[in-house]
Amino acid sequence: MSTVPGQAIFRDVPEPRRIGLSQKVWNSRFDYLYVAPALIVMLIVIGYPIYYTIELSFFNTPASLALSAKQFNGLDNYVTILTSPVFWKVTWQTVLWTVLSTFFAFMIGLGAALALHREFAGRGVLRALLLIPWVVSAVAASYVWKWLYHSDFGAISAMLTQVGWIDKPINFIDNTNTSLYALIVVNVWKEFSFAMIMLMAGLQTVPDTLLRAAQVDGASPWQRFWHVTFPHLQGVSMVTLLLLAVQNFNSFIIPWIMTGGGPAGSSDIWITHIYQLAFGRQRWGVASAYAVILFIVMMVLGYFYVRALTKGDDARAAG
Amino acid sequence: MHMNTGRRLLGLSMAVLSAATMLTTATTASYAQSVDLSKWSPEYVKSIAGTKQFDAAKDCGAVVPNDYTGSVSYWYTGPFEADPQIAHDQDKAFWEAFKAAYPNITTEVQSITYNELLDKFRTSLLGNSAPAVIRLQILGGVEFAAKGYLQPLKPEDVGYTAADFWPGALKSVTYEGVSYGLPTNNETMAMIWNAKVFKDAGLDPESPPATWDDVVAYSKQINEKLGIPGYGLVAKQNAGNTPFRFMPQLWAYGGGALDEASAEPGYKDVWINNAGSKQALQAAYQMYAVDKSVPTSALTNTQGENQAPFIAGKLGMMIAHPAEYAKMNDLASKATGTDKVVADEVVANMRYGLIPTGPDGKRAVVFGGSNIHVVKPEFVQGGKVDEQAVKALICFWDSPEWSTKLAWVGSNPGNINGFLTDAMKERLDTIKFLDVTTSMLPNGIPFPVIPQAPEIMNIIVPDMLQNALTGNMTVDQAAEDAATKVKAIVDGGGGI
Repeated sequence: MSTVPGQAIFRDVPEPRRIGLSQKVWNSRFDYLYVAPALIVMLIVIGYPIYYTIELSFFNTPASLALSAKQFNGLDNYVTILTSPVFWKVTWQTVLWTVLSTFFAFMIGLGAALALHREFAGRGVLRALLLIPWVVSAVAASYVWKWLYHSDFGAISAMLTQVGWIDKPINFIDNTNTSLYALIVVNVWKEFSFAMIMLMAGLQTVPDTLLRAAQVDGASPWQRFWHVTFPHLQGVSMVTLLLLAVQNFNSFIIPWIMTGGGPAGSSDIWITHIYQLAFGRQRWGVASAYAVILFIVMMVLGYFYVRALTKGDDARAAG
Repeated sequence: MHMNTGRRLLGLSMAVLSAATMLTTATTASYAQSVDLSKWSPEYVKSIAGTKQFDAAKDCGAVVPNDYTGSVSYWYTGPFEADPQIAHDQDKAFWEAFKAAYPNITTEVQSITYNELLDKFRTSLLGNSAPAVIRLQILGGVEFAAKGYLQPLKPEDVGYTAADFWPGALKSVTYEGVSYGLPTNNETMAMIWNAKVFKDAGLDPESPPATWDDVVAYSKQINEKLGIPGYGLVAKQNAGNTPFRFMPQLWAYGGGALDEASAEPGYKDVWINNAGSKQALQAAYQMYAVDKSVPTSALTNTQGENQAPFIAGKLGMMIAHPAEYAKMNDLASKATGTDKVVADEVVANMRYGLIPTGPDGKRAVVFGGSNIHVVKPEFVQGGKVDEQAVKALICFWDSPEWSTKLAWVGSNPGNINGFLTDAMKERLDTIKFLDVTTSMLPNGIPFPVIPQAPEIMNIIVPDMLQNALTGNMTVDQAAEDAATKVKAIVDGGGGI
């Protein structure tokens, strides 16, 4: 038997042994043990409610029956929801609410972050002031804004009347055409600080040398922002936008306290509608099916969020 | 007229029934022949107060011996921090008196806030850890009766008769012909107005609007003359305030959600799109959208938000709870500077009157209050209900003396013999306008006693109002849309 020179050396080196999943689990058994309590708690407080909501979504729960006597009705609840014009109206309002709130909160947050990134006198104080909407309780903010907007005695209308710009109070939230937009303004006010903080952190990662080099090469402020700063903010921007979108899809406090979804359903969004179905109307089955639909949407958004968050991890790991 | 005749006959038959029961039931503590519901008026209420003495310990001792040994668990909404001291004192005095009357009965009592009680009770029932006895808001019990959680309970079970309670109140605890509880306290609202605002607007300061059409006209006149809202309309979604204020108007015009305003309601016929309901809706539309004589904020306001403009002299009239006068006094006492001057003037000019009638003279108001219920043993903590202890507690709570004292601040005794007590006399002497709100009781109509009632009253009725007032639908369309929804949920279905 002839030997090819050089090969013998490798033949003697044992190939790396492939470790099976069970072996991996066994090797990390103590790690699993350590996280087990947390996992068990999560299964109880998160897993079980999700399971029960999905189960309930396939049942009819009339007001005259105890929950234990619920009647299986297959996909009827989903059909009821998806064929209802009310659902599609509320869905459109939810999309408007989410997209406009997310977009404007991000853009105002970006502007504030860029402004506060430069050194100037009073920057710290201004930064603290701009953080106030984020730290104020949403419940308190909703009540304050409700009185600012009040259609009879609102502070905004009172001020505008005093300076002579209007002669009667503006109907912000008791008007089907303006109520949703009035709430979006409040939501943007509440959320832009969050975008500002995230983007300020992102701005710290922009290399100063690149900006200076661009300046030396004659780039205008806009060109420096667009070609140097913004590409460095893409990752944090994506995460911020997704977090804002998830938060806005789940919004409840501001619309519920300020208008209760009214007038005439004009400011109803998915969560307020689900809440009213479940707790106002005791329609647990339909409300659960509605919640499952929302859950699926949230999971899709969550997938993109995780992807954005872990983008480049594989490449870094390979490198 | 028919309604009044019917009520007189009902009152008479109740009195006869009471007398018959007295003769045949040895252990009963009934005294109803002393109160004549057919004579009910502010003067009559005053004339009978303080005319009879009762001894709850002795009377209930005839139902459950005072030396009985046992235990009972009980949930209710007792007095909380914001309540006046007298409410705390009476509550404390009740438990001391019960302990003195039944020294061997152990009580396990929880006072739970109004907003939390229903949800907590629902949860406890799912976990078979409910109390043996619970007191719920007037319509709270029907949901649990329909779902099979409550035991049948009728007045005779605890030593009383049907004649000891308001017929409307007994209706509110009867589901499919079976009684599932006893009324503990009942109240009705009334119309309050600011006499100075009326005078400044050129109206008679001492006369409330007699009809709902007058309300529309008065509201318009106040708004035109003074530039302030005339009537405190409330039309918020998902808020109990809305049906409590709109249903009296709907009923007065001959409407209803179902047939709850009829003499023998079956809760099957949908009335929300009948001519009377549409007239009432049209009147609300006239005030909100045409005359613009009510608060624009009515669509997002609850009654609580009408209190501030009223105490500031910026609202002419509104439907209010018996306790509203005390609330206004409280607000006035907290005001300072020029606000205090205005608030004191408003309190001095505050008047209570009967709720207006419809075009045919029909006067109606929501019959409010609370009921006491007994839970089936399988849903109770420990799986047992001590029936004798339960009866003793309910008899004592619903005695003329204690059902009056425990309803001291803003309600009235569930046991109508409470109107004969010294405690009632003291209340009438010390609580201004109590005679007026009390005299609305015979006009009380309970919401439909079906488990779908909360959805009809808190969701569908306000939705109908909002659809019409915002112009989202015409009055006709809004009423028809509401009728379709009511019919669907009564039939066991309903969209979203």
